[in-house]
Amino acid sequence: MADTAGWRERAEETALLWVLVAIVAILSLLPLARLLFEGVAPGGRFSTAALSSVLSSATTWTAAQHSLVTACGGTALAVLIGATVAVLVGLTDIRGRNAFVFCFVLPLMIAPQVVALAWLQLFGPSSTLLKMIGLAPAMGSRNPLYSAEGIVLLLGVQYAPLVFLTLRAGLRTLPQELLEAGLAAGAKPLTILRTIILPLMTPPLVAGIALCFVSCLGNFGIPAFLGIPGNYLVLPTLIYQRLAGLGPSVLSEVAVLSCLIGFIAVLGIFLQDLMLRRRDFRITTTSNAMRPFELARWRPAVEIALWILTIVVLVLPLVALLLSSLVPAAGVPLTVKSATWSNYDYVLFDHAAAKRAFINSFSLSATAAIVIVLVAVPLAYFLVWRRSRLLRVLNLVAEMPYALPGVVLAIAAILVFLKPLPVFGLTLYNTVWIILFGYLARFLVLGLRPVIGGYYQLDRTLEEAAQIAGARLLRRLATIILPLVAPMATAGALLVFLTAFNELTVSALLWSSGAETLGVVVFSFQQGGDSTYAAALAMLTVAVTIALMLSTLLTGKPARGVLPWRG
Amino acid sequence: MNYLLRGVWLAAALVSMLAPLSAQAQAPKGKLVLYTSQPERDATQTTTAFKQAYPGVEVEVFRSGTTEVMGKLAAEFAAGAPKADVLLIADAASMEALKKDGRLLAYPEAKVAGLAAGTYDADRTYFGSKLITTGIAVNTAAKNRPASWADLAKPENKGQIAMPSPLYSGAAAIMLGTMTARPDLGWTFFEKLKADEAVAVRGNGAVLTAVASGEKPYGVLVDFMAFNAKAKGSPIDFIFPAEGVPAVTEPVAMLKTAQNPAAARAFIDFILSDEGQKLALSMGYIPARASVGTPSWLPPGTVIKLMPTDIGNVVQNNSANLKRFSELFGN
Repeated sequence: MADTAGWRERAEETALLWVLVAIVAILSLLPLARLLFEGVAPGGRFSTAALSSVLSSATTWTAAQHSLVTACGGTALAVLIGATVAVLVGLTDIRGRNAFVFCFVLPLMIAPQVVALAWLQLFGPSSTLLKMIGLAPAMGSRNPLYSAEGIVLLLGVQYAPLVFLTLRAGLRTLPQELLEAGLAAGAKPLTILRTIILPLMTPPLVAGIALCFVSCLGNFGIPAFLGIPGNYLVLPTLIYQRLAGLGPSVLSEVAVLSCLIGFIAVLGIFLQDLMLRRRDFRITTTSNAMRPFELARWRPAVEIALWILTIVVLVLPLVALLLSSLVPAAGVPLTVKSATWSNYDYVLFDHAAAKRAFINSFSLSATAAIVIVLVAVPLAYFLVWRRSRLLRVLNLVAEMPYALPGVVLAIAAILVFLKPLPVFGLTLYNTVWIILFGYLARFLVLGLRPVIGGYYQLDRTLEEAAQIAGARLLRRLATIILPLVAPMATAGALLVFLTAFNELTVSALLWSSGAETLGVVVFSFQQGGDSTYAAALAMLTVAVTIALMLSTLLTGKPARGVLPWRG
Repeated sequence: MNYLLRGVWLAAALVSMLAPLSAQAQAPKGKLVLYTSQPERDATQTTTAFKQAYPGVEVEVFRSGTTEVMGKLAAEFAAGAPKADVLLIADAASMEALKKDGRLLAYPEAKVAGLAAGTYDADRTYFGSKLITTGIAVNTAAKNRPASWADLAKPENKGQIAMPSPLYSGAAAIMLGTMTARPDLGWTFFEKLKADEAVAVRGNGAVLTAVASGEKPYGVLVDFMAFNAKAKGSPIDFIFPAEGVPAVTEPVAMLKTAQNPAAARAFIDFILSDEGQKLALSMGYIPARASVGTPSWLPPGTVIKLMPTDIGNVVQNNSANLKRFSELFGN
């Protein structure tokens, strides 16, 4: 009996593992291998010409250096803002927490190119806002955002919520007993923060840093808008320009560049793995909600500081974008008389593609989020609790499509899916399905990281108890583990949804008529010179995102920590 | 090949001898895949009007800069499965390159009567649909009004100039090929622009935004975009520089691998028809068929001084030009 049960358990486990390996392989390995094949063997013949020409080019190393500088700078800024806010929001008694968290997480849900667009509207001679108040700098004067510092600033602002989300999810599991013990021993709050909270929060913090670093490294929208005009190229923009400007004849060169950026990302992930492996960070998550630290007379000052941060980071850029969407044509000064809704009219009622794009982006993102969580929960189980060389490789493989710029994955997907699938005879190319494939491959890691962070904090004894009681793996996953990692899994699903909903780089090359995404339509308008339509549609996207978030606040009371924008 | 010198076809008033579209023996139907570099709004209008003329045809559109359209096509050729039936992209040089690779299907019966010779390929593989010139756009509040390309490149405009990147835009690639081949401008002109810290943005649309919003008061820009924005109230003017303007013809062509050749031919017919040409006119373009008139911004009879473009030369030097430009402007 026991033998049969053990055999069944092992068979089920092995089967599940290989299903997961197959999924990751198809999502990540297949397209990247196809691309690599193109890189080392252009047209099927082996050649190292591309490799040596790329690695000996000064442009490559300049861009690699720029990538490192902006990714590290952006991550540092994001960690600084995100961690500070997480500690203040998660541990102290500030008021208006819900409203603040809501506003603070919002920039993450706005597309990078929209963020860049909004900030560019805020500064520089073209700012409708500055023109209105007569503060616009002289025409042609340089917009200060067109610089490395500008890129770092926007990357930091864009991804600070990522650090905040992972860290706050971790703070929720902080054992009350330890803090009370510390307080009882007479430790000051700052000492507790340094000696108890910070060490315990290492896994989510490191996970947040890794996620943030990889996001900054692969970000395309911000360096594209801010770096290209100032001739400050990072690897993704270099790859995009080579590919877009010179076509797939440089596919092999681009494949080498992609490997370089992949290598940098892998280094970062490897460091994370190294840091977490050295110690055991497990916490039992049974303790009650923590009593917040009292800020006492500092409270108003902290609250004001947080709200000023919100206004600078969120309100001003969005107001600038809103004003730009109300002018009849680019450059027209906004007055009560010139203000018009005609841009909204056009994108809402006259432009069929914009309407389709809303539906497409919504269904694509929702599907991607659900599928990814269903894969991530069992996958993280193996990655965290069944360490093996195969699994470590699998982890790295799953990271690759996200670390690589989206345009590379898009080209790889085209190469794989252009021809009808061998057995089924279906052609995914020019359908929404190739975009869904791109989203699943690219955003798997976004859903996976928080779930892995969640597993690190789980006490395995519950699961082991269930196993001894005879519950097999699938059952344990569904009844024990899923509820325990649910907050992290939901955070992951949300990250996937939000990123995909505003995504541009993958769909820019994969879309077709009838399968437009919101990012593509906004970008098309912007590229075609219809910047007022672009601003209007971008504002609508932001409005829908905010409306969705608000509606989740109204429908019942979800479990604590499930929705990141809830206080 | 310097047909563009004969730009007088703008002034010529020829009577169209097109047969009515309804005279088609069998109405084409099914799906038509169009790859185009037209701006979003224009592409939508074009396909909507085409669908009205041929209700049986469903049109799928891929829209991007000419270079990206060519990139997508090349990827599809490499994989052996091109999807496009018909192309409507900015310049004849890209079409020449495709023709050289044997990708285009000739359409000998295309109704070219009324089109100036030289605006379409002698082998009837591609057909210019309109004339799009590239000149100087200025913000109305700008200090100077450069009357020539040489004026634009003067140091007084330092940090004030935007231009479309030829790595994205087909019209800009022709502009680059045409101007660098001229002794009076040549690469010196672009080196001067670089010294002026001119920025190469992705496409003409981005130049329009930069100039109209005052981010860069001067821009190298295609005519219709400047005039359409001006008509909507943007503070922008368009100058035809003294040396002349480079121009593209936005040709239409069908691929040999087209899966719906009947609909592809219908699309070419439509673009070259009076109806299609009037549509282009209403969008602010100079139509290829002179008989349908000129846009409101161009007084009838005006002769635009066009720079001659040696398409063969542009095709031959294109990748070297793009590389040099890319090294110079870093994109």
